[in-house]
Amino acid sequence: MELGENRFGGKMSVNDRGFMSLMNRTEELSGGRKTGWLWAPFLSLMVFALMLSSVEAYAEGTVPNAVPPKGTYEGKNVEQPIEFPHDIHAKINEINCMYCHTYARRSKVAGIPPTSKCMGCHSVIATDKPRIKKLTEYWEKREPPPWKKVHDVPDYVHFTHEKHLKRFVFDNPELPVERVSEVCAFCHGEVKNMTVAHKVKPLNMGFCVRCHEANKGPSDCWKCHK
Amino acid sequence: MSLKNILENWSHYRRGIEQGGHHKYEHMWGMALDLNKCIGCNACSVACYAENNLAVVGHDRFAKNQVMHWLRIERYWDEPDLDKVSDSTSQYQEHGASFLPMMCQQCNAATCEPVCPVAATYHTPDGLNAQVYNRCIGSRYCSNNCPYRLRYFNWFSFYESSWPAPLHLQLNPDLTVRDKGVMEKCTFCVQRIRVAKDKAKMENRKVVDGEFQTSCQQSCPTTAIVFGDMLDPESKVSTLWRTHQVELGKTKQAKQNRELRGYRVFEALNTEPKVMYMERVREV
Repeated sequence: MELGENRFGGKMSVNDRGFMSLMNRTEELSGGRKTGWLWAPFLSLMVFALMLSSVEAYAEGTVPNAVPPKGTYEGKNVEQPIEFPHDIHAKINEINCMYCHTYARRSKVAGIPPTSKCMGCHSVIATDKPRIKKLTEYWEKREPPPWKKVHDVPDYVHFTHEKHLKRFVFDNPELPVERVSEVCAFCHGEVKNMTVAHKVKPLNMGFCVRCHEANKGPSDCWKCHK
Repeated sequence: MSLKNILENWSHYRRGIEQGGHHKYEHMWGMALDLNKCIGCNACSVACYAENNLAVVGHDRFAKNQVMHWLRIERYWDEPDLDKVSDSTSQYQEHGASFLPMMCQQCNAATCEPVCPVAATYHTPDGLNAQVYNRCIGSRYCSNNCPYRLRYFNWFSFYESSWPAPLHLQLNPDLTVRDKGVMEKCTFCVQRIRVAKDKAKMENRKVVDGEFQTSCQQSCPTTAIVFGDMLDPESKVSTLWRTHQVELGKTKQAKQNRELRGYRVFEALNTEPKVMYMERVREV
């Protein structure tokens, strides 16, 4: 990845720019003194750390080309019937988001998988864990666990997962399907690192428009408002 | 359509496609209604209520003209025969009423658009006259400026009165339930257009004529309503417009053949309505 160009071939994201200006500042600092060379090992460490942090910041779900929103928009922790560990599934076992949320690429909503999909693995795997026992109970009662919605856009908004996935994953040669979680993270945050998912992005109109402007998405009111 | 865009190109948004339009039209949804086929059964109106979450306001508010029907059937009686005035049966003519289903005409040069102080109503690249409920502040200028009287204002919040407990389950989730203080009108079933366009886009093709129907068209027992894309010369609706020699961009249709029945309501006002009616033929 070249500086000044992010993975999406667009302009630098603000994180990258911030990183550059920081670099310049450290250079100024070091250049202003005769003993600049003494800083060198420290500097390289710092640059390395900064690079790491910038990579991390990107991985946290920065929308390509768009200005990231200021402040935090942490949603409340939603209490789910079973405390579903996204980290174990998506991070440790590297299961693709779309394995369970299979409707994301086919319809408006990403959907929650049917319990049969859970049981496909969990009739064999980790059957002795308390959470799985609870799940098996639901399964045997033939009742779906009453999952609660975490990311809920207002009723007057039309949002389709399938079109967004088409634009950012399937029509994007630079992003293989294995890395789809990076695209999900634009709006859902780094769910990989959460147990029960909670809202981290604002998901308001400004948030949507910011990305639509940067990526030349439709700007017609009726494209989203209904 | 950002605010900056609105402020810079305000007069631009007045233009219809015949004046070059203010943007490139993707589609231009239009309609053709055959009044010969219309039997005035009101099925279209009922379908519209069901599809578009229209509130049922009740007798009193209907009498106060606060009804919310986006598609209304207008009845017209011919002038009573002067010779028969004394006859008690003559107040209804023997042929019965003439019906005219009246919905938003989706004018290309809509009079409602330039008067909105907050640009809640504007023209979309689909040639639709859009109403953005979130933006609407309820000034009702648009309603005053509409020559067809096709805009309806929510004087009350009808949610609880119109859809008490089990009825709320029939609400269409593809559409907002409008609240008090918001103007609304026929959208040509934009939610269905949206679904069809999304589907076409996912399959990398164009929307095919007849792929979807508006709810009024779908429910019409006599198929009096034809709906489609007028930019597509092959579509049913543009074929009908062509056959009846009704053209956009004219305030008066110059027809050689008087047998052709097509006309537009109030086209002399230069609002450029995109709904063509075909006159009823009577044997008198």
